[in-house]
Amino acid sequence: MTGTPLTAAKSAAARPAGYGLARRGQASFLVHRRATAVALTLAVLTAAVSVLSLSVGETWVAPGDVVQVVLGQDNPNELVVGTLRLPRLVTGLLVGLAFGIAGALIQTVARNPLASPDIIGVSQGASALTVGAMTYGIGSYAVLPWLSVTGGLVAAALVYVFAWRGGLHAARFVLIGIGFAVALKSVTQLFLTKGDALMAQQAKVWLTGSLNGRGWDASRPLLWTLLIALPFLFWAARAQRTVSLDDDTATALGVRLQRTRLGLVLLGVVLASVATGAAGPVDFVALLAPQIARRLTRTAQIPLLSSALMGALIVTAADILARKLFAPTELPVGVLTAAIGAPYLMWLIVRSRTGGKA
Amino acid sequence: MTTIDTPASRLAARALTLAYDERVVVESLDVDIPDGKVTVVVGPNGCGKSTLLRALGRLLKPRGGSVLLDGRELAKLPTKQIARTVGLLPQSPTAPEAITVGDLVGRGRQPHQSWWQQWSEADEAAVTTAMAHTDITELAERPVDELSGGQRQRVWIAMALAQETDLLLLDEPTTYLDISHQVEVLDLIRQLAVPGERRPHGRTVVAVLHDLNQAARYADHLVAMKSGRIVAEGPPGKVVTPELMREVFGLDAVIVDDPVTGGPLVVPGRPWHAQ
Ligand SMILES: Nc1ncnc2c1ncn2[C@@H]1O[C@H](COP(=O)(O)OP(=O)(O)O)[C@@H](O)[C@H]1O
Ligand SMILES: [Mg+2]
Repeated sequence: MTGTPLTAAKSAAARPAGYGLARRGQASFLVHRRATAVALTLAVLTAAVSVLSLSVGETWVAPGDVVQVVLGQDNPNELVVGTLRLPRLVTGLLVGLAFGIAGALIQTVARNPLASPDIIGVSQGASALTVGAMTYGIGSYAVLPWLSVTGGLVAAALVYVFAWRGGLHAARFVLIGIGFAVALKSVTQLFLTKGDALMAQQAKVWLTGSLNGRGWDASRPLLWTLLIALPFLFWAARAQRTVSLDDDTATALGVRLQRTRLGLVLLGVVLASVATGAAGPVDFVALLAPQIARRLTRTAQIPLLSSALMGALIVTAADILARKLFAPTELPVGVLTAAIGAPYLMWLIVRSRTGGKA
Repeated sequence: MTTIDTPASRLAARALTLAYDERVVVESLDVDIPDGKVTVVVGPNGCGKSTLLRALGRLLKPRGGSVLLDGRELAKLPTKQIARTVGLLPQSPTAPEAITVGDLVGRGRQPHQSWWQQWSEADEAAVTTAMAHTDITELAERPVDELSGGQRQRVWIAMALAQETDLLLLDEPTTYLDISHQVEVLDLIRQLAVPGERRPHGRTVVAVLHDLNQAARYADHLVAMKSGRIVAEGPPGKVVTPELMREVFGLDAVIVDDPVTGGPLVVPGRPWHAQ
């Protein structure tokens, strides 16, 4: 170690293992090879499942016809595929993307997979306010997204304030979050029993997280939110590299930790809330997608793009099952995601109690 | 009323008071870290060595007084600029699960990068050099959590070196290392302070060490702390005395000449079998 001269030999070993370099003029970007391959595979799978999702229904439409309709070519199935099924698919895709990213961001900050927006009260806050509004007859898609964002942000702020003790401790944050989630669920129940019975019935369907009958007006606010969030996500992906280190090391590298964390959480809370507003709380997607994605990419931090695509894949695939499993009766997609997510959640809790690192 | 003089050295503390919540750990401490020298901080467990180091590296906000970098208050400088000047290796850093050695060392380059310049030739050169100097080049692709404690420690040192700062603060960098790697790390620290092409004055290093003899051997400037105060500081030959050993560590010791360096060597007195 001491014999080496102070001038460095050029060596490929210096670039972090597993990364490639994308260069353009002065700009250079580190690209994780395996994560890129995983993202591409997930994108292809999601595309295939999307076509399948447009094919199945009361009548089967051949995938060839589906592709024609999506590409805007003349096809007799235009009405069924383009007008009836496509908006629902798009809503599902966007909801999955948003939940996947939101989970990845908040789990990164808390360094704990349990700290997902659907576990720590964000989805529940968004739901409570939305259901409250619905039972009082406010059901317009121009208003609902704002209400869900407000609900999600207020819930997150409350959890933050109650968990703060001169610093944020992940375990306390999660426990207080779960507490708030339960409390907010009871608030939602209160709205349902106190409010107008007919409206409450509609709100109940929404509450299970359903893509049934979701048209373009449901997905539009979410699409805008995702587009506006995109540049911030580039910032977030880089911030993840240091936030995933320990506090002292990150600070020594010149990261303003509190500010960075707040930014990441804010981004995640807004995305999760708007997604909740679009399709109801599709539970466990935000918890599951980033964890599966990370196991596939084997990256040191939770991969944003792969988490997003994994979320979209889970929601779309679950929605096909939800429609076909007990056809002609349709299940809400949230029931399906909960069926996979709940056992995983229990496994996580058992493992954290036995001292394993999650 | 304290007036802030302009310190002669790049890194200094004036009337520094440090506390966790209500607990004051360091009170009204003044220190000047000599430029281009190796300063070693010693003292019993819990006396505030790590706390002082964290404040010098801006990880802990002073309750009172200030840390000065190039004559300006640390708290008022942009964080990224500080991170390009002062590097710090915490006492027990933790790596994210599954991160590879090369990836972790590369993250030391953070303050030199921006979101659109994520990897440059300078980054590559700094990481290669840092890894070569800590003898971990062969480990580049291994996950950090599969390494031995000693290897891991060298990876963290490499990360701090890759940051390429003029000042480097190391909190117990030799813990977990076997004796030969301890000596290698200490030799490396000495080498860092040697003037070179890029740094005509050499780097300034502050290290917390718990082995007194190693401290005496490798320090240009020795700082002995007790209960948050500096009890003595200066060249090891002046600082390491039987009186100081008794005052700081409560230890009866004989000081002899180190047969290799001629410096002070602490030999604890009254061992159990001589009583
Ligand atoms: N994060 C913390 N919160 C509260 N007290 C702390 C914290 N870190 C250290 N201390 C206390 O401050 C004192 C000095 O600690 P430290 O600087 O780590 O000592 P040293 O590094 O000399 O062993 C100890 O009494 C320790 O208990
Ligand atoms: Mg210490």
